[in-house]
Amino acid sequence: MQGFGVALQPMNLFYALLGSVLGTAIGVLPGIGPALTIALLLPVTISVAPTSAFIMFAGVLYGAMYGGSTTSILINTPGEAGSMMTALEGNKMARNGRGAAALATAAIGSFIAGTIATILLTFAAPTIAEIAFVFKPSDYFALTVVAFTSAAVVMGSSRVRGFISLFVGLALGVVGIDKMTGAPRLVFGRPELLDGIDLTVVLVSLFAVGEILFVASRFRPGHDEIIPIKGFAFMTREDWKRSWGPWLRGTALGFPIGALPAGGSEIPTMLSYTIERKLTKYKDEFGKGAIEGVAGPEAANNAAAAGILVPLLTLGLPTSATAAVLLAAFQNYGLQPGPFLFTSNPDLIWGLIASLYVGNFMLLVLNLPLVGVWVRLLLIPRPQLYAGILIFAMIGIWGISGQVADLVIMVAIGIMGYVMRVYDFPIAPVLIGLILGPMAEVQLRTALAAGQGNPAVLIGTPLSTVLLIVAALFLLAPLLLRRLAK
Amino acid sequence: MSNNPEIPLEGTGSGDGGAAPRPWWLGGAVIALGCVCLYGSAQLPQGARYAAIGPGMFVTVAGGGLVVLGIALLVQIARGEKFEPQDAEDASGHEKANPVALVTALAAAIVPIFTMKPLGLPITAMLSFVLVARAFQSEKMWLDFVYGALLGAASWLLFTRLGLQLGGFLPIAAI
Repeated sequence: MQGFGVALQPMNLFYALLGSVLGTAIGVLPGIGPALTIALLLPVTISVAPTSAFIMFAGVLYGAMYGGSTTSILINTPGEAGSMMTALEGNKMARNGRGAAALATAAIGSFIAGTIATILLTFAAPTIAEIAFVFKPSDYFALTVVAFTSAAVVMGSSRVRGFISLFVGLALGVVGIDKMTGAPRLVFGRPELLDGIDLTVVLVSLFAVGEILFVASRFRPGHDEIIPIKGFAFMTREDWKRSWGPWLRGTALGFPIGALPAGGSEIPTMLSYTIERKLTKYKDEFGKGAIEGVAGPEAANNAAAAGILVPLLTLGLPTSATAAVLLAAFQNYGLQPGPFLFTSNPDLIWGLIASLYVGNFMLLVLNLPLVGVWVRLLLIPRPQLYAGILIFAMIGIWGISGQVADLVIMVAIGIMGYVMRVYDFPIAPVLIGLILGPMAEVQLRTALAAGQGNPAVLIGTPLSTVLLIVAALFLLAPLLLRRLAK
Repeated sequence: MSNNPEIPLEGTGSGDGGAAPRPWWLGGAVIALGCVCLYGSAQLPQGARYAAIGPGMFVTVAGGGLVVLGIALLVQIARGEKFEPQDAEDASGHEKANPVALVTALAAAIVPIFTMKPLGLPITAMLSFVLVARAFQSEKMWLDFVYGALLGAASWLLFTRLGLQLGGFLPIAAI
């Protein structure tokens, strides 16, 4: 409850509103997503109180989900992987003149799912944090190993390429002064590298520069067709009746899967779509604009967004690119998410969680009546839009430390981002490796030091053993499944 | 990533998206990256007195992992692994790459390395803006100069006020 006291302070309300507006805008715009936006905001927010900053970031995270559904429905360009399923049915509905109903079920479904998921987060987070109190370094190390293998296996189409992404991230993560011995690592005599490579630089280079290079080389101008919303055919009584079930089922799928390592929002939205398709009484409408196909995936999408906050806040474990940059934001403020944050900074945690309720409500109000305004953003011509994104990326990187070395890294990693897109390497594992690698290393070395160098300490607790087995299963399961299938 | 089936695709015939059928260099690049790590870790102590592993161990693992994965990638490539370019908004992975646009956009990213220090952010932003817009087939170049200069100057003013250290407005003239 004290959280609401924090979240409802006028200053924090302002930041929640700012975050929601920004989030919706970038959700609508192509080429820029929540992870990139938060990364670009990081240097600017350094003078803002951490609670306000995180309230704004939460607004960006949720807002991007709302914005993404708007574009999927009205122009059939899913802003991100999570809204791909919405585009299938939602765009058909818009073509049939039921755009307003599709937007409404998406927004209200997002609101309900976001609120339920936030309630679940409110109760689940302290419990998990409580359990995490007794974690030993070996448990933490095993947990990071699970995060690594699941990220490399689940994200992307090939395990080899997933692991290459992960190991590139791990390699980038060791650059700089070793925290435990002070030895400079992989700096090759360049003093600029002693501080290590900033996650923001890598993220902005991969997502902004890499994306701009890729889109520029394969640009298809003039394919957008915005479907006008005819009249105000809001949801009918039948629409409500058909939306309830999908909303709740989507939430039930999205939250737990989002909370799992590498669960993300793609899998729950696809599952939700498949399930609604199976359950519906209106099978023939699927593929032609069935409201269930919008309501379910949209709810799953938003619930998953809240789900990723569970491992992040309670264990300090990022499970997506956005979560990785949020973790970097915590570190910028000298905070380490995990069980101790609940006792040392309760205002921050509960203020953040309370602001999720507030932000969800704001987004509902912002999105339903103002859809026309958001869609207008798409009229920004693409050349100038992408040029502007590069300018902001440049400012974001230059503003961190004003080093030309960072600009060189930007070009190098930007080219890597381009190559990764052309040859279909997943990008999130790089960021997870970069930010979790150093943590895994510290835990590993602490655990081994405590065990006097005996590697048996790594499986010394039942939990660490179980987690390492889970990690091994992630690695081997696809192989076994393939064997069985033959 | 599967493409949205509803978006009509043009030129899906070849389906190679500009990716070379056998990108051997890709595996080579991964192995080279791993070797750089291994070279760096060779100068670091692998063990430490108080713990089993020292500062070099993790670097060795990362480098070794990259070398092994690079070899695995080469094996996949030899077996004819297919690489489907990812789809993005405004772009289709199936389209052939336009090298001129790619180089122009890359130039926009490289320009700041040389101009940021002497010419300052606003002018650098203007130059990069024009180059990216050009890469995206913008036709009114003089307008892009104006937009770029305005955006560069405005963001310099805004972000400097917000507390970012972005350098002088026009360092070469000591402003």
